Amino acid sequence: MFLAFHEIRRGPVRFSLLALAIGLLLFLVLFQQAIQNGLITSFVGALRNQSAPVVVFSLDGQRTLQGSTVSDDIDAKVREVEGVDAVARAGQGTFTVTIGGGDATDASILGTDDPGLGRPSELSGGRRAEAEGEAVGSEADFEVGDEVSVVASGDGEAVVLTVVGVARDVQLSVEPTLFTDLATYEASVRAVNPQAPVVPVNGLFVRPADGVDPAELADRINEAAPDADAVTREEAARTAPGVAQIRQSFQIIFALYGMVVPLVTGLFFLIVTLQKARSLTLLRAIGARTGVLATALVTQVLAVTFLGVIVGIGLYRLVTSGGELSSLTVRFDPALAIGWGIGFLVLAVVGSLASLRRVLRIDPMDATTGAGT
Amino acid sequence: MTDPALQMTGVRKVYGSGDQEVVALDCDELTIAEDEIVALVGPSGSGKTTLCSIAGGLLQATEGTVEVGGRDITELSASELTDFRRTAVGFVFQTVNLVPFLTARENLLVVDELGGRRSRNGAKAKERADQLLDELGLTDRAGNLSSELSGGQRQRVAIGRALMNDPALVLFDEPTSALDSKLGDQVVKLIRDEMKSRGTAAIIVTHDDRITHYADRTVHIEDGRITD
Repeated sequence: MFLAFHEIRRGPVRFSLLALAIGLLLFLVLFQQAIQNGLITSFVGALRNQSAPVVVFSLDGQRTLQGSTVSDDIDAKVREVEGVDAVARAGQGTFTVTIGGGDATDASILGTDDPGLGRPSELSGGRRAEAEGEAVGSEADFEVGDEVSVVASGDGEAVVLTVVGVARDVQLSVEPTLFTDLATYEASVRAVNPQAPVVPVNGLFVRPADGVDPAELADRINEAAPDADAVTREEAARTAPGVAQIRQSFQIIFALYGMVVPLVTGLFFLIVTLQKARSLTLLRAIGARTGVLATALVTQVLAVTFLGVIVGIGLYRLVTSGGELSSLTVRFDPALAIGWGIGFLVLAVVGSLASLRRVLRIDPMDATTGAGT
Repeated sequence: MTDPALQMTGVRKVYGSGDQEVVALDCDELTIAEDEIVALVGPSGSGKTTLCSIAGGLLQATEGTVEVGGRDITELSASELTDFRRTAVGFVFQTVNLVPFLTARENLLVVDELGGRRSRNGAKAKERADQLLDELGLTDRAGNLSSELSGGQRQRVAIGRALMNDPALVLFDEPTSALDSKLGDQVVKLIRDEMKSRGTAAIIVTHDDRITHYADRTVHIEDGRITD
């Protein structure tokens, strides 16, 4: 401690610069992690945070509601599966809408015929949609009281949805998202495509009976209806197209950071160790145990890295305090910050092993010749 | 009867073996009394540093016995020798003597810190460091880094550090080599005064015959052998 902190006190600039560099690296990791989480939530938040534990797609639907078409046959088979408590039919599509008569924008409308299934589990404002034409909107895009008009084409009849409630993290495919009843959804489809003979059901939201495990029920449904692809809510969110790719891309970036951190700290402390090699040799010669010098080095590594972690988490807290970046939700996640902070401390110690090796190899006899490590 | 500060008997230091064998030191007998100051004089490569290193526990002899202050250090392990260096001997090296990121006072206190938590004296060490700095005329420089001290002041701090652990023996390796003759003379006089006032034995390795008159005895060494 004595050596470690006195050296830091006498060289505050260089140790502060390292702490700052570590802090910036940690900030970048946390910020990118927040972006990753925000992106995934924007893609599949509507599935992850809806009320039905099991989601059924058609087998060829590739686990997207918009690409899936659930036939009446599948619907009937699902309802007959033992352990099914309730089933809601769902339709979902992307529409051009105007909000309060403003500019046209794209929005996703998800309609179900059971208000208790396939809708946001929790609202952050307003109330649940009860009547036809009422909707719950994604909080980032809508406010309670917004009038959302589906832009009609041809002979289509315009549909107006009234936002009566909002929910957090319920976007689908990075679009403003509205949850409404199935009839309003079907009316929206007919507004843009008045000639459509039928409006297909895109998916089913299923609630298991009391005591039935959702995963087990999904297996039973898949067995009973070979053309169906039933998954739990969590799996539907995790395996949605694009999500795995997003995770994979970010994981490569995180892995790179995982290599950069020990390199940066390792090189810094190796340079510092080489610079003070003669002092370390002197200290060994006058009776310093290698353990004392090694402890001083590790103490410095941990102290400087800890300072960097504080800086990184502070920046992360600052940037995420707004909760949104452009239209992306970025949130401060304490568990993530602590986890990465501990990870950085471990990586920094790993990075300092080369310096530690140098310290352990010091020959005190070199003090008589003025040589160092 | 008091133990001598240093007793070396039949000490040899040999590097290599067979045809490659190099005898760095071959010392039949060397005894230094508890308050004796010995000037060790000899040409480069004669074995002066090897002798001091063995006496100070930096190096282990190939043969023979070494006793410092009555303690046999011949068979000590590497970690025991480290403790021995910290607690029983003082060193003033030729080149590097101070830790640059520590002040003069901290360079003395570091000796107490090096043993780890269990062997620390804390307040007593601070008292001793202040006392030594006062005796060496460095009280007003106690808070200065080594880069802020003159050559003579640096040597005085090094002497203070060597005396921090109240050693039985202090080893000075060319303590005046980096100083001009006037300052060198002052430093050697200071060494003599400090050693004599404490009754501490010292070996001063030197090339400089002018400073041998401050020693109680001069020992010559050549090709690893003590010649007189």
